[in-house]
Amino acid sequence: MTRPVPDEELMMLVRGGAGDMLGVLFDRYQVPLFSFYSKLTGDRAASEDLVQEVFVRILKYRRSYRPGTAFRPWIYKIARNAHADQARRRRTEVEFKPEMAPAILQNDTAAASQQEALLHRALLELPEVKREVLLLSRFQGLPYDEIAELMGCPPGAVKVRVHRALQELRDVFLRLGGGRTANDKVAGVNHGL
Amino acid sequence: MDCDRMEKLLPDYWQGALRAPDAEFVASHLKVCTACHELVALGEGLAELPLEQPSPALRERFHAMLDAYEEGRGEVSHFLPRAWPWGRNWMGARPTVAMGAAAVLLVAVGFVVGRSLSGGEAARSQQEIAGMQSELTNMRQLMVLSMLQQDSASQRLQGVNWSRRQPKADPQILGALLHTLRYDSSVDVRLAALDALSRYGDQTQVRQGLTEALESRQSPLVQVELIDLLVAWRDDSALDQLRRIERDQNVDPAVRERARRAIDQLS
Repeated sequence: MTRPVPDEELMMLVRGGAGDMLGVLFDRYQVPLFSFYSKLTGDRAASEDLVQEVFVRILKYRRSYRPGTAFRPWIYKIARNAHADQARRRRTEVEFKPEMAPAILQNDTAAASQQEALLHRALLELPEVKREVLLLSRFQGLPYDEIAELMGCPPGAVKVRVHRALQELRDVFLRLGGGRTANDKVAGVNHGL
Repeated sequence: MDCDRMEKLLPDYWQGALRAPDAEFVASHLKVCTACHELVALGEGLAELPLEQPSPALRERFHAMLDAYEEGRGEVSHFLPRAWPWGRNWMGARPTVAMGAAAVLLVAVGFVVGRSLSGGEAARSQQEIAGMQSELTNMRQLMVLSMLQQDSASQRLQGVNWSRRQPKADPQILGALLHTLRYDSSVDVRLAALDALSRYGDQTQVRQGLTEALESRQSPLVQVELIDLLVAWRDDSALDQLRRIERDQNVDPAVRERARRAIDQLS
């Protein structure tokens, strides 16, 4: 099988004016970015706007992409900035509402969907900065050095933030779930996936 | 105490970067500490949350934005409304006027740019553009060939669609499309490949490949499309193959009838 063309090579072509190559990058990143935004904001419509905005910015600022720059941290940096700008414009805190729960849950058992929804709710109750670091590291699977580059702090600090955010998530999760332990609930999530 | 040590170890544990003694410590601690076990279970739950799919409208909006960019070359049209009523035909009811305006603008920009470049610079710039275009052609070729080999049918379909962006016939891509036409496991992908190939009636490689693809094992849907295309091209070199299909008892009767009519038309 032919090796997939690296993101960086495609971005260099976009930088040179080959806009259609951005279509390939869009195909690769639209779902991860949309999922990230959707879990960060709890708002699907706003998340689609943000993904669109990321690709508008890539085209607009394509010449600022330097050869040798790793593409993934670069696009996530744009994604974070786009979100920060949007939040500044809105100036309202996102509160979780039941209709914000993701419309597409890929579980086939109602119980697992419930646990998953609980995890989403717990996530949305965290302060945004904590939710973001958890999503980047645990959900998106970005390595600590890439997150550190994005956030402008040492990788060690990212590790501490991830751990603290996870501890807080556990507290919220237990509070929302009442009686049962997180182990029971998350086991339900994992089995349903 | 042990939980404090876990705080230091867990971040590397998540990324599978722990060395053996530390990994053993984590494993044995998780057996006895409910709090840490809950933390790990929650972290794993986060990692396994499903990806969410955006609505198809996002792709439409992206391509509308890209089309606007391609037409304006460098002018990024910002926010297209989410529920844009015309989909990709975003210029709406008066495309001719908009295209005319875009063409005038392009000519004007070209004129100004051309005037502003001195002879040497213009030649160098021409060279750079030629280099870039050749790199781009190679890249497109690589993309198509790579996508046509993917496991998922939708990706292969995308590969076929990408092949349409090739400005001119490329033997390697035509070869890959012909291979797809004969051997792809999905009939949809085969039909898309045939549609993409239908632009290349002037290529011997394609005419010959299409005739060869008209075999008894082929899906009747593809066979019918193939026969119609060969008739449209007035390709009488396919007559022998058409006769074989017409006589073949294993072939769908509707296809044989189609082949019979094609023979009449081409003879």
